[in-house]
Amino acid sequence: MNKDNPLLPQVATVLDITSETPDIKTLRVAGKDGLPFEFMPGQCAMLSIPPIGEAIFSITSSPTCRECLEFSIKEVGTVSSALHDLPPGAHIGIRGPYGNGFPVDDMKGKDLLFIGGGIGLAPLRSLIGYCFSNRDQFGHIDIVYGARSPADLIRKSEIKETWPAEPDTSVYLTVDAENPDWKENVGFVPAYVSELGFKPENKIAITCGPPIMIKFVLQALDKLGFKPEQVITTLEMRMKCGVGKCGRCNLGPVYVCKDGPVFSLAQLNELPAEY
Amino acid sequence: MKKMIGLDKLPALWEQLSAEGPLYLPIEERGVVCFKPWYEGAVVRLDALNGVVPPKDIFLPREETYMRYQGGSQTLEIEAVSPGPDDKATLFGVHPCDLKAVEMLDRVYIDQEPGDSLYRRRRENATVVALACSSPDPFCFCNLFEVDPADAPGADIMAYLSEQSLYLETRTEKGETMLAKAESLISDAKDEPERPREVKTTDFGLYLEGLSDNLKERFDDPAWDNLYKSCLSCGVCTYVCPTCYCFDVEDFGHEGAGERFRCWDSCMFGHFTQMAGGHNPRPDRKERVRQRFLHKLQYYPQTYGEIACVGCGRCLRSCPVNLDIVQAVKALGGEAVEQR
Ligand SMILES: Cc1cc2nc3c(=O)[nH]c(=O)nc-3n(C[C@H](O)[C@H](O)[C@H](O)COP(=O)(O)OP(=O)(O)OC[C@H]3O[C@@H](n4cnc5c(N)ncnc54)[C@H](O)[C@@H]3O)c2cc1C
Ligand code: SF4
Ligand code: SF4
Ligand code: FES
Repeated sequence: MNKDNPLLPQVATVLDITSETPDIKTLRVAGKDGLPFEFMPGQCAMLSIPPIGEAIFSITSSPTCRECLEFSIKEVGTVSSALHDLPPGAHIGIRGPYGNGFPVDDMKGKDLLFIGGGIGLAPLRSLIGYCFSNRDQFGHIDIVYGARSPADLIRKSEIKETWPAEPDTSVYLTVDAENPDWKENVGFVPAYVSELGFKPENKIAITCGPPIMIKFVLQALDKLGFKPEQVITTLEMRMKCGVGKCGRCNLGPVYVCKDGPVFSLAQLNELPAEY
Repeated sequence: MKKMIGLDKLPALWEQLSAEGPLYLPIEERGVVCFKPWYEGAVVRLDALNGVVPPKDIFLPREETYMRYQGGSQTLEIEAVSPGPDDKATLFGVHPCDLKAVEMLDRVYIDQEPGDSLYRRRRENATVVALACSSPDPFCFCNLFEVDPADAPGADIMAYLSEQSLYLETRTEKGETMLAKAESLISDAKDEPERPREVKTTDFGLYLEGLSDNLKERFDDPAWDNLYKSCLSCGVCTYVCPTCYCFDVEDFGHEGAGERFRCWDSCMFGHFTQMAGGHNPRPDRKERVRQRFLHKLQYYPQTYGEIACVGCGRCLRSCPVNLDIVQAVKALGGEAVEQR
């Protein structure tokens, strides 16, 4: 973060852009000498293309990747579609990191259950990569990931090949509806989580996805016996500053950009449900 | 030692001070008094009540460019724009309520990490001459917030107006430096200046003790279902409130060159929290009115220990449908029933 003015971006270069799904692309972004800044999994950055504007995205690469930052971006409006259209080598503005990140220290020695939906895998992937790079610090890793259709899953080679091959790791994939090319589970993510019947003992569940998925995942985890302290999620709000000043991302006295976006369910239960 | 200056010598003082940097005074233009940079012939109204807009824009401008860019997709250059160290402003004639409000903004923009250097530089460079307020109007209720209309603890110089003179009491080194520059116009106050008598502001019968804590349980209170109904979403309440500070960030320019600026925004507007896919966490006026009042009465005090209102009365004077903070406090159980 720029020490003098936290709103001031630095110039970074988009190394390359890969298509993930019909509306999601992954950008690899480097500063002058590698990483534009240090960060922890779960933190975000503001990307900008002047004069089009700025938007905030989760850093989806692990901090152990020293070459560049990665962002998986869904096309929803002006900045996101302009980012999609950039040629490799293009300059953009970047500032960050923003937010608290995942409570990595509290997770050490525990089994981890990741539950992602659609683009919601983006922030989880940073932590998943971090865990794989520090494998002995964490217990068993379960990853449940789903999307509308097989084409809408992101990071296809990682979720299908790389991750299942990692030690002590299970990956469960699901899509919403039957599809001729699909051999794995069919059904919504929350239902699949219930069906898999994860045990809460010594486990932390981390979930991110569309609001409706999160809502039902939380219910499913509750039924499985997970306590609110064992459930972690990341929130999305409209953001402009990223540093708790512009006033648009608060839940009560808490600013999602600065005090979040990562919250335990126990913390969220204490805040107005205005998200 | 207290100093004094004859009212007839004030224009000479303005001229001298404005040579040092921008000098903001309550200036009347077309019947409206606001803090503006002094110019020759300006109608300065030290006797006027609080201006329509508070002087917060001197530290947090309505629009402020903080970045310029040049070049395109392979040649982008970004340059910071910030107030220079020489940009030393003087605020002359700020009332104690408005100065207390600036101190509330200081906590957000200076004390809370990461600090905002644009705000901080303006604030640290500025010299503030506060003016005792002797004639509050019926909407003023700063007494409720422990503001003494006759004294502003945070001022560099505290000034009192009498019929023929302005008395100046220096409080800080900055204040002394300022007065030293105008030595020829200023004399020692022979007698103790006549401090304004105790100034009483309107008592709306509000009782704030415990209100912030009680509100934690009242997020879903039925009172919100009625309170918001008259709101027009015009946003005036937030623009005129000296403790409101939300902003927007936008770009202006074309592909080769331009700037990025921030500008005042308002939580009373629907687009403020509008998200992709149509979801809006504060979709209607109810949620937005609740946000504005809870920010002042619960969220800010939870973080900083004090209600974010100074009783300046501006939202009472300006809201076209009288949906002001006094109405809100009353609707939310802050009426001093037992005292009446
Ligand atoms: C902490 C955080 C992490 C995020 N991580 C990712 C990510 O990894 N990948 C990803 O694709 N998206 C992510 N988002 C969402 C992303 O910020 C928005 O999709 C983006 O800002 C839209 O900008 P735009 O200019 O393309 O859209 P605009 O043209 O500005 O707007 C299109 C629509 O999106 C709304 N919008 C604007 N900003 C946001 C916002 N911050 N959140 C939601 N809606 C918004 C607008 O009001 C409008 O309705 C994240 C958001 C947050 C808050
Ligand atoms: S409360 Fe009053 S001043 Fe504020 S937006 Fe509503 S109508 Fe306008
Ligand atoms: S809420 Fe109203 S009375 Fe209180 S400081 Fe703001 S404008 Fe003044
Ligand atoms: S994005 Fe500005 S306060 Fe959170």
